[in-house]
Amino acid sequence: MTLLDGLLLLSLITAVAMAWLGARAWAGWLGAGLYAGQLALLAGLPMPASSAVSFAVLGHTLHWQMGALGWFFALILVAAALLATWYAAGAWRRTYPRRRLLHVTVALNVLAMLILLASGDLLSLFVGWELATWSGYLILTQAGGPAERASLRYLVYTLAGGMAVFAGVVLVDVQVGSLQLADLRAAVPELSAGSLWLLVLLFTAGFGIKMAFVPFHLWQAEAYAETPGPVTAFVSAISARMGLFAMAVVLIQLIGPQHLTALQVPFTFLDAQGLLAWIAAITAIVPTFIALTQSDARMLLAWHGIGQGGYMLLGLMAGSALGAAGGLMHVFNHATYQAGLFLAVAAVIYRTGTSDLDRLGGLISRMPLSFITMLIGIIGLAGLPPTNGFVSKWMIYKALLNGEQPLLFIAAVIATLGTILSVYKLIHNTFLGQLRVEHHAVQEVPWSMRLPMLITALVVMVTGVTPGLVLDAVAPALEAIGLAAPAYHLGGLTTGNGNLDMVWVGGALTFGLAVGLAVFLLGSPSQRTHQWDNYAGGHFLSADIRFHYSHDFYPGLMRALAPAYRGSVRWLEAGLVTLVELAASAFQGLYRAAPLPAYLVVGVVLLLWWIQAS
Amino acid sequence: MMTVAVQMLLMPLVAFLVGLVLVLFMRRLRARIERRVGPPLLQPVYDIVKLYGKRSQISHGPMHEISIMMVVGGVIAVVLFLPVPGMQGLAAHGDLITLVYLLMVPSLGLALGVGQCANPNGSIGISRALTAMVGYDIPLMLVVAGVAIAYGTTSLPQILAMQGGTWGVFQMPLLALAMLIATYGMLAKEPFEIYTAPAEIATGPMVEMGGKFMGALFVMQCFQIYTAGALFTVLFLGGGASWPGFLLKVFAVAAIPLTLTNLFPRYRAERVLHWMWKWPTGIALLGLALIMLR
Repeated sequence: MTLLDGLLLLSLITAVAMAWLGARAWAGWLGAGLYAGQLALLAGLPMPASSAVSFAVLGHTLHWQMGALGWFFALILVAAALLATWYAAGAWRRTYPRRRLLHVTVALNVLAMLILLASGDLLSLFVGWELATWSGYLILTQAGGPAERASLRYLVYTLAGGMAVFAGVVLVDVQVGSLQLADLRAAVPELSAGSLWLLVLLFTAGFGIKMAFVPFHLWQAEAYAETPGPVTAFVSAISARMGLFAMAVVLIQLIGPQHLTALQVPFTFLDAQGLLAWIAAITAIVPTFIALTQSDARMLLAWHGIGQGGYMLLGLMAGSALGAAGGLMHVFNHATYQAGLFLAVAAVIYRTGTSDLDRLGGLISRMPLSFITMLIGIIGLAGLPPTNGFVSKWMIYKALLNGEQPLLFIAAVIATLGTILSVYKLIHNTFLGQLRVEHHAVQEVPWSMRLPMLITALVVMVTGVTPGLVLDAVAPALEAIGLAAPAYHLGGLTTGNGNLDMVWVGGALTFGLAVGLAVFLLGSPSQRTHQWDNYAGGHFLSADIRFHYSHDFYPGLMRALAPAYRGSVRWLEAGLVTLVELAASAFQGLYRAAPLPAYLVVGVVLLLWWIQAS
Repeated sequence: MMTVAVQMLLMPLVAFLVGLVLVLFMRRLRARIERRVGPPLLQPVYDIVKLYGKRSQISHGPMHEISIMMVVGGVIAVVLFLPVPGMQGLAAHGDLITLVYLLMVPSLGLALGVGQCANPNGSIGISRALTAMVGYDIPLMLVVAGVAIAYGTTSLPQILAMQGGTWGVFQMPLLALAMLIATYGMLAKEPFEIYTAPAEIATGPMVEMGGKFMGALFVMQCFQIYTAGALFTVLFLGGGASWPGFLLKVFAVAAIPLTLTNLFPRYRAERVLHWMWKWPTGIALLGLALIMLR
């Protein structure tokens, strides 16, 4: 038994233990301890780590091996599970009755994703993919109610994606005659452009559905937002990123960037890599602006999760080591601040019972630590210095500019601007502004919930100032998929034409803050006033007067954007809807209304044709 | 060559002093147009001293206070990355992209502080300020992209070195024009002053700001006007070999929006967006196309 087997076994033991003991009061602590054990095993894993288990199916050997790329994702996975379980272990558990289900689903997800991340060939990749898909359904549907509907939609999407992946696997089997990664990599130069295109499209669609790339972006936000409490942080941090892992394996490691750029899209200037980059850019923009219009904190964050996925693919498809490093690093960075943000929102829900952005406000004075977590989280999500979100975005921007792709760069910038607007609305409507009367007695959440939150915030800041720590894990992951790692150091990157040293950037901001503090203290001492002592145009404020601006936060922007939604856009949308309805009723006609004899006739004809053909 | 520590003290100081003079210039010019005499030479200094020394200093909570430090800290961090004659500052450790993103830190700080003030006038002001940012940042970033591709670098010292022969403004006049307009929007002077809008939302973000809080915003304005002029000078006017030449360029650039602002009333928020997305963005796209076709 190898160490990798030990890790998977411990993960299985975690799932079994949670199924057995999950309802106990201390189950969460036990789970957190087991995840910590998994994390320790993961840290000691040799690279690449092979499993002793392997078996043959239909002449194909399935085996498992975790490389540096899988390890990078696994690190995020287990750490996210640890923090989410820790958060759920303490006082939070009393708010959620189905604790056993919650712990089991998280443990099963960790197990399934570890199996996926350790896949050693295309068949085991597919098996891992399906396992992750189904365990994902369990975790998303557990809360019942609206979650059930949303997760059913998830299931339809991802099953379709699974079919596409399977078709891709079959295509590889037919064309190459083997499902081993090395064989496919060797055979790619001989494949015709047509079959290579088909492979790219099948795998991208299949894996891209999990990442919710446009036009498959509709399922994810609702499905993720409806999961209970800290589990939202877990699924948002890592679940969808399995799609990116699989895409990195297939598109970069197996097919290779040089073959992607050789595939031209007919009648355009784009190649396959450019096409994917544009899909990524549109995925960064559209869901971000949808997020901007949300009035529920969890929906807002879940939509941003989709948009940030676009950045990751954009980095991978930027066509350089710098961009790919930025894309992969963004997986880690996004996981840290997104988990922190969802945990902070879960804290708000725990204390106030709602995440409705129109029914909150002013909580900073009651929940300062949750506020700090969310503050650092939104600075990371918006990608401003000195957080880690800025570093990975800087790398992606820089790669796009070095690659002379200004339009993709602007697309990424537009998404960032939308993000800044949206996250300010999030923190303003939740923690700033007027405190509502019913929230006057609200207190900060207990320490069992504070610590996991604050750890994520700390990681966002520390890896923001010293991104070299994360790049230490990203560099071998890049080499594992056949890309060179860019030159980096603890503080950032040194390129020939523009450097980034976050130690200095963070230092400059700290210095500026110190000067700001000194200047502030230089002035006369200030007095705190109550929020009812505000300027109100000559009126007196009292508890019953709502003095909080929250609903429809950006009317100017909406008035500017709304006219775009008319004419040809409306017409195109209506056309698409009609087309989908037509296809749906046609298929329904097939399996619902068509009489059995019709199938028999078709079946017999096909059978005869096949016999004659063979 | 001065040590970095000395430069970290000198660069913000110079920026602040130049900013003070620019603010004085802005006020004097408006006074002349309105046939007034205008404030005396040291009026901006008196204003700041008065605001910091006032006895009534109303704070609305910890974030309000921290945000004021973030505002000052952010603008100081920005000028540290902007090379000036004889001083590179930290320009070797952060590039043009870093600088443009650092520019957003004081805005975010202000936004957070205003949020804590719990006054809807302030929040509406921030909503409008961020909306305006979506307007002017798109052409600004197009210019950044064009400049980075034309010079083949995002490092500011390298960009300055590339302009040894010809200034950037002659190589890419369209991008320079777009940058000038975007900068105008960034300074939020009429017709783009949608977020202060005194007659509508009681000066927006400033509505709950008094004393040293207002003073810090005054300081921020000094830095912002300087930064706007200096950034344009570095990107398009070849920086400066000596201080007089550099300051002359900064003044000439900053004077354009500060002068034109006297001609206009205020736009509505969505009109700013339409205008920004139409004119400077269009000009920048055209300039970018010229760069890409070279």
